[in-house]
Amino acid sequence: MQATTAREHGSDVPARPGEHAVEIRALSKRFRRRDGTVVPAIDEVELLVEPGEIVVLLGPSGCGKTTLLRSVAGLETPESGRISVGGRVVFDAAEKVDMPAERRGLSMVFQSYALWPHMTAARNVRYPLENRRGRRMSRKEMAAKVQRTLELVGMGGLGEQYPAQLSGGQQQRVALARALVNDSDVVLFDEPLSNVDAKVREQLRTELLATQRRLGFTALFVTHDQGEAMELATRIAVLDQGRVQQIGTPTEVYARPATEYVAKFIGNTNELSGTWDEASGSYTTALGAVRATKRGISPACLLWRPEHCSLHRERPTSGNGLEGRVVAVLYLGTHTEYLVRSGDVRSRVWVSGRNVDFQEGDDVWIGIPEEEVMVYPTGAEVSA
Amino acid sequence: MTTTTGIAPPADARRRRAGRRLPTSFDLVALVLAGVLLVLVCFPLLRVLVRMFYKDGHLTFEAISKTLAVDDLGELLFDTLVVVLGSSVLAVLVGSLLAWANTRTNARLGFLNGVFPYLPFLLPPIAGAVGWTMLLSEKAGLLNAWARDGLGAVGVHLETGPFDINSWYGLIFVYTVYAVPYVYMTVSAAMQGLDGNLEQASRVSGAGAFKTLRRVTLPALAPALGAGFLLSTWFGFGMFSIAQIIGTPAGIDMIPVRIVKLLTFSYPPNEDVAIGLSVIVVLFVGAAYYTQYRILKKSRFAAISGRADQHTVTDLGRWRHLVRSGVLLYVLVTTVLPMVGLFVVSLNGYWTSNIQWTSLNFDAFRVALFEDPKTQEAFVNSMTLGLVGGVAGILVAAIVSLYVAARRANRMVQGMDAAIKLPASISHMVIAVGILLLLAGEPFDLGGTWLILLLGYLALYLPQASIAADAAVATIGKELGEASRVSGGGRWKAFRRIDLPLMLPGLVGGFALLFVRIVGDLTASAILSGTDNVVVGFRILEVFNGGSYATLAALSSALVVVTGVILVVVLWLSKRIGVAKTR
Repeated sequence: MQATTAREHGSDVPARPGEHAVEIRALSKRFRRRDGTVVPAIDEVELLVEPGEIVVLLGPSGCGKTTLLRSVAGLETPESGRISVGGRVVFDAAEKVDMPAERRGLSMVFQSYALWPHMTAARNVRYPLENRRGRRMSRKEMAAKVQRTLELVGMGGLGEQYPAQLSGGQQQRVALARALVNDSDVVLFDEPLSNVDAKVREQLRTELLATQRRLGFTALFVTHDQGEAMELATRIAVLDQGRVQQIGTPTEVYARPATEYVAKFIGNTNELSGTWDEASGSYTTALGAVRATKRGISPACLLWRPEHCSLHRERPTSGNGLEGRVVAVLYLGTHTEYLVRSGDVRSRVWVSGRNVDFQEGDDVWIGIPEEEVMVYPTGAEVSA
Repeated sequence: MTTTTGIAPPADARRRRAGRRLPTSFDLVALVLAGVLLVLVCFPLLRVLVRMFYKDGHLTFEAISKTLAVDDLGELLFDTLVVVLGSSVLAVLVGSLLAWANTRTNARLGFLNGVFPYLPFLLPPIAGAVGWTMLLSEKAGLLNAWARDGLGAVGVHLETGPFDINSWYGLIFVYTVYAVPYVYMTVSAAMQGLDGNLEQASRVSGAGAFKTLRRVTLPALAPALGAGFLLSTWFGFGMFSIAQIIGTPAGIDMIPVRIVKLLTFSYPPNEDVAIGLSVIVVLFVGAAYYTQYRILKKSRFAAISGRADQHTVTDLGRWRHLVRSGVLLYVLVTTVLPMVGLFVVSLNGYWTSNIQWTSLNFDAFRVALFEDPKTQEAFVNSMTLGLVGGVAGILVAAIVSLYVAARRANRMVQGMDAAIKLPASISHMVIAVGILLLLAGEPFDLGGTWLILLLGYLALYLPQASIAADAAVATIGKELGEASRVSGGGRWKAFRRIDLPLMLPGLVGGFALLFVRIVGDLTASAILSGTDNVVVGFRILEVFNGGSYATLAALSSALVVVTGVILVVVLWLSKRIGVAKTR
């Protein structure tokens, strides 16, 4: 399937409620700055989340991903658009529906954990059960459920501890237990792993994934960490300046970025600008002709990833070849990064293994297969 | 599905109007409470201003003309200005020196930063004024007697003196002692936020510790010093008890004393002049504010960075112990000494310089507290008012603070918040006069009741409660409340289970301040209390005007003990509550 942008997505999917765990339609919210200027925080966002999916909202800070998540939770009030959760409308600007957060039946894990410091871990986890609508649970039932949930996140023996007595990772597990205890179908995550250190983060991520597979809840997960997004996501939604730039599986987003912005934000890229030359069937750049699968865009921005190119002593026989000189060699463990200068252009080339064939000062050729060159119209993206 | 959107909105979704949710019941309660506070705080002031020109349905300038016709108006103004401005200048000097020694030099004593703000509350001004009288009265003052004995031993014989508290310098001294904590609080906060590199640069350039203080630290702190000065003058213009107990016997007339005299101790009350004088006080305070505003607006001071971690400690070298002793001596002299005076006189049974150390007893306390039904009544009333006013005040302040904190961006809410804190910036005396005008007569007829005192105290001291509640609210992260909502808890549940327990240490501290201010109050009490609703402050005033000094001392001592016990217990308790949560 071709990677789609938000626009295309919105137009061809029929509005059939009940199929989606979360359905966001044309959602917009603007913020007024102190000086009076109005900035869109989220702009006509469309997002459909299937049951059991983990959809990661990815983008730099200020891209609107957290505002979007908080709008779903009911902690922010958008200006227009509609949100339904599990087929139930929780917000609709046109119909003047705005269900308060406490009635939306969602769960959320906060960036700061937001554990109540005056309650033990078990009391924290019990809180959502006390607020259940309909039949009230007996104390015994609640205690059993709390214990089961704490065990699920590996905190079985620590229920009587206060948050201040727990490590960051443990606090995050308690926060997760609090979000899961009510068996919510949809759990929202607001950068939950950004406050724990790298090792713990990795472990929590794996466990979170396993827990989600076991329980099957739907997750909307906000992060600015693309590695985290790639690992967790069923699908990634890349946001920039309040707009969804692309929604797709991690592979799609990485291999076929819909826009120059997505290509640059996910993974590393080398860049050249060029113009299409119909006669030669290639792009004319400062470093000579470059061929690409996508043709006929002018002026164009040509991007390719460091791991998709190779280094040669001689001009490569197939694909594109760019001449240059090695100015730096960085051994990075999993691969070696060569910094190659050609005129004013610097490119990065990643070669796997510790076989350091080239040295600083060597004259080399960079080989780039035609199909690995991504072409986008120049100036289509305002943002960097 | 037949509707155009395909989905019928669920029945429990709230209807919105103009993009906003309907307020929850919590918000409604908060709004109503805020409205009540607003009325309570702003109407008295408006009432005073309106009464200035409008009486019994007529436009009139009687208040102005009668005030201007007061014989000694010039003297009254002069005396008030000299005492207030003189003590404020001294307070800025002493307060900033103390703050500097205790935050930025190696002479500092950690515990003082926590204790200083509470010092004036530990010894309410009325008790302090009585205490200083006991110590430094020209003839019978204990310190004077001891000083005379000492001088006699070296051949100098005096009949009176050497000091006299009922004098210009005595009055200014006691005013200064009570104004210093205000300066200390603003200046020490600013000093803690001052970038130490500024001082280091001065030291490296060859300036000594004191030159650095004079040339670098003090100029950089000018805004904080200005704020401290402003607070001191505000305190001075509103202060009644010290002026009454120390100034009046010295023949120094001050405006607050005159206002009370005209309203409470004249029959019929002379409202016109009292109003005129109140407006003069408002003008003075207003002028002080305007000056402060102008200075800040023009200044280049604003750019001091708040990098508190850069904060350096000046090494005083061999001066260290001297400075430290000086700070300790100051605290002892200004707090402990007057208490000693009070206790010694009350235990001795009568006020004389010849203390019978062997026969000290509690008779005076027994007589003052247990055999006089009026005093008993006064204590019961004050305690009840303190408890009811303290609890009600701090709870209301907490609800309003939570409401305001969630809507920081809203201009209306900001304005409301500022208006509630207004009495903190207008003279207490004037607010009390306004409450009297507003509620004592028709149609409320609350004059001489318990309720008018409660409302008066709340109007005067709620700003403090509100500031304490704001600080408590600020310690609760926004996400804690949001987590409760997402977990399905309604607003009241979040208030009961999350906000209230987390704010408790701060609220308990706020309650203590409210309680102590209410019990030790004389400003509102002098105007709103009477024989039908007598309170401790008023009773002390009555005894001062015509009773035994031992009774006066015993009453004041009892007040000090009650205040001290409450403060210590409550502050200890609030620490305990805080610890229990995290351990």
